[in-house]
Amino acid sequence: MFWDVTLTLLEGFGGTMKLFVLTLIFALPLGLIISFGSMSRFTPLRWLTQTVVWIVRGSPLLLQILIVYYGPGLMFGLPLLPRFTAALLTFVINYACYFSEIYRGGIQSIPRGQYEAGEVLGMTRSQIFFKVTLLQVIKRIVPPMGNEFITLVKDTALVRVIAVYEIIWMGESFIKKGLIWPLFYTGVFYLVFNGLLTILFGRLEKKLDYFR
Amino acid sequence: MKKLFALLLAGMMILSLAACGAKKEEPAADSDTAYVKANGKIVVGITDFAPMDYKEEGSDEWIGFDADMAKLFAEYLGVDVEFIEINWDNKAMELETKAIDAVWNGMTLTEEVMKLMGTSEAYCNNGQVVVVNSAVADQYQTAESLSELSFAVENGSAGAEQLDALGLEYTALQTQANALMEVAAGASDACVIDLLMAGAMIGEGTSYPELTYTVQLNSEEYGVGFRVGSDLVDSFNAFWKDAYKDGTVMEVATTYGVQESIIAK
Repeated sequence: MFWDVTLTLLEGFGGTMKLFVLTLIFALPLGLIISFGSMSRFTPLRWLTQTVVWIVRGSPLLLQILIVYYGPGLMFGLPLLPRFTAALLTFVINYACYFSEIYRGGIQSIPRGQYEAGEVLGMTRSQIFFKVTLLQVIKRIVPPMGNEFITLVKDTALVRVIAVYEIIWMGESFIKKGLIWPLFYTGVFYLVFNGLLTILFGRLEKKLDYFR
Repeated sequence: MKKLFALLLAGMMILSLAACGAKKEEPAADSDTAYVKANGKIVVGITDFAPMDYKEEGSDEWIGFDADMAKLFAEYLGVDVEFIEINWDNKAMELETKAIDAVWNGMTLTEEVMKLMGTSEAYCNNGQVVVVNSAVADQYQTAESLSELSFAVENGSAGAEQLDALGLEYTALQTQANALMEVAAGASDACVIDLLMAGAMIGEGTSYPELTYTVQLNSEEYGVGFRVGSDLVDSFNAFWKDAYKDGTVMEVATTYGVQESIIAK
């Protein structure tokens, strides 16, 4: 019994992991692009990006999932995206916006003098960014990124609102068979995985310690 | 160079926004039956709800009175059937957006449901019953005695409507099963669920042996939901009448123990 439940929940956790990993793969680079947009010296682009970031960060993720999945069909009669794709799209956009602000914070925390020094040495702006700034930025954004990663793991539970099956959905399905404990048991999976993430981020921070 | 890139990016963003706003020119939905046939399958939205739609332990196939009849209906239309477990709160949106083609899951024909969907003729009788712990059941045999209980009920369900009508407070939960769990865990004194479900899920020999049901608050009927104005409604009614006459309906109903609730056609 315990073993059967564990297997079913693991299957559900597979869905959770798929969403988690794919969201990171797309949102991490997209976030960087958005952060460039919100730091751009070209005002309309900066204004546009900041508006998008405001909308995405300012409204509930749950609502965004519903809008992305049902919205096109309800408003324009368009065919719907597959459920998982809609969920992934929402998560990528949402998390890219959060990541972009973390990147921006990291990039803008690098002292002005380093850019000036780079310029004096005749480096181009992109050379300065990739050779001088980037690694320092990575070191600085590790702790807030760890926060976001852990939040992302738990936020995946929201997608069951459009019937994308993940571990909580699987846990709840046992209630109908009269088993209540599997729902609470799902917490162990989150805890173990987030524990691993915490250790991983701790190690990463140590590795990047040589900057100071 | 950089400005050009920035402009390009801005342009792309605006374009993608415009693409979202573009309306697809499509004639108003004519025949839903034609749509389903062109797809080669009818997509049926369900929840895990014994004895209507459920899976046998260790099996991946949906069975139950509704599931089996849905399979026969698909056969009648000459298409395949696909069952999708949906979030019950969103059933009207699922239909409207063509994520599913039918809601067939022991759905009570409430006024709200009939407004939001094209509904079939009723095929099954049901009622809302009050579930309490059997130790205290004898104190709550009348509707008047219920006022001192705390209730749990599925959000937006027929049970919730009954409690509203009685002016009783309740906690609204995602599913009827969650409502049962509330009572089993002692978080609420009582819950209101479907008679058919109570018959299958509580009492001796089930997962909730300590629970029992007392007052039946109303009687109601189950129907199948399609899109508003869909011609699948007529197809369904014709199919059901035939299936009832040749005894198929009762045969399937007997398999799942719901034969006493079936409405004669």
